[in-house]
Amino acid sequence: MKKKVKKWLEDGSVDVFLGYKMVHGHPLPHCFTLEDVAEVDELIVSEARYSLEKIATHLTRQDPKIKIGLLARDCNQRAINILSVWHQLDLEKIKTLNVNCCPSNLKAHPDCSYMTVETPGAYKQQVGIDNTIDTETADAFSKEAKTIRWMYEFQKCIKCYGCRNICPVCFCTECSLEHKDLIGPGNLPPQVPIFHLVRAAHMAGRCIDCGLCEDACPMDIPLRLLYRKVNRIVKDVFDYDTGESSEQSPFSLIGDSVKLTLKPM
Amino acid sequence: MKCTFVPSVCSYCGTGCGLLFETIDGRINSTIPMKTHPVSQGKLCIKGWNLHEHINSPMRLKQPMVKTFGRFINASWEEAIQITADRFKEIIVEHGPDSVGVLVSAKMSNEENYLAQKLARAVFGTNNVDHCARL
Repeated sequence: MKKKVKKWLEDGSVDVFLGYKMVHGHPLPHCFTLEDVAEVDELIVSEARYSLEKIATHLTRQDPKIKIGLLARDCNQRAINILSVWHQLDLEKIKTLNVNCCPSNLKAHPDCSYMTVETPGAYKQQVGIDNTIDTETADAFSKEAKTIRWMYEFQKCIKCYGCRNICPVCFCTECSLEHKDLIGPGNLPPQVPIFHLVRAAHMAGRCIDCGLCEDACPMDIPLRLLYRKVNRIVKDVFDYDTGESSEQSPFSLIGDSVKLTLKPM
Repeated sequence: MKCTFVPSVCSYCGTGCGLLFETIDGRINSTIPMKTHPVSQGKLCIKGWNLHEHINSPMRLKQPMVKTFGRFINASWEEAIQITADRFKEIIVEHGPDSVGVLVSAKMSNEENYLAQKLARAVFGTNNVDHCARL
């Protein structure tokens, strides 16, 4: 791995390489360059995930010609795909070094901090939504129970905007969550459930299920579950595979024509 | 292009959440929560998330200003300190040392805060010392 990165930097196929390095005992993202090529020996695959592709979009915004290499897990790959589909990254200028992450038939060993989730406490299980359940179990609650349980989760929100800030596929310069007619400024908790549902609606056809938002949520709101459900609907109704498809989602409203086509029955 | 990630601690309150400053070519671009930090465990509040904003803000004061005839006017540090000292002296002579107090800030280092309370207790002679993080 280190040899490959060194080779990439030396032959100029990438200008910078985004990986991880141990700093003061913390695995932190690090930008490896040709000037400090000896540092590549310290490159590690960290269990703690940072959104390297989001950093790549920041670099690209500063210098659109820059060629970036980065360590990519499956979720990073999906995010890069979405970002290139929405013209935030140019796939020709991105080189990925694939690393092991989520377990599958090919790789039994997970290598990601998200795989060690905490079990929620008894109270949250009683009145809220358990972060670890799947969409089917969450759907199985009665209509009233669903409303009460989700509202319990939403009203905990401290409006830190962490879910949006950390999201690798949130790149808009103007955000609906800051629109004063939609989300009133200065209110805590924010307009529930509008705040979360606006974000959920925007995650349709975007969310790549990386789980960083839930990781960053100080109130442990089951955001990943919510966006999974939204994307399940996108899959069922429009037959669009978020993160896997090489086309823009059916919710693309910019352009000559809107192509909201339903999945053939 | 040089991009660095500088580990730091949030200066807004006494909790001490860990964060990273993402700098591109020496300019702070964004704040990222530090995932492995024992205090915050990769979570931040809205103030921490926007910590980088005041650094590049055009509203930021870069030199002292003295209010003269109701308007703020740029001054040198020496001038500002001299005026402050003179006014403090006047107030303490007239109303006693307990008429002044010192409110220190989480934006300074521990050592600077120590020095500020020392100034209050040993020089002004008052126990009116408080800190913005003791909300």
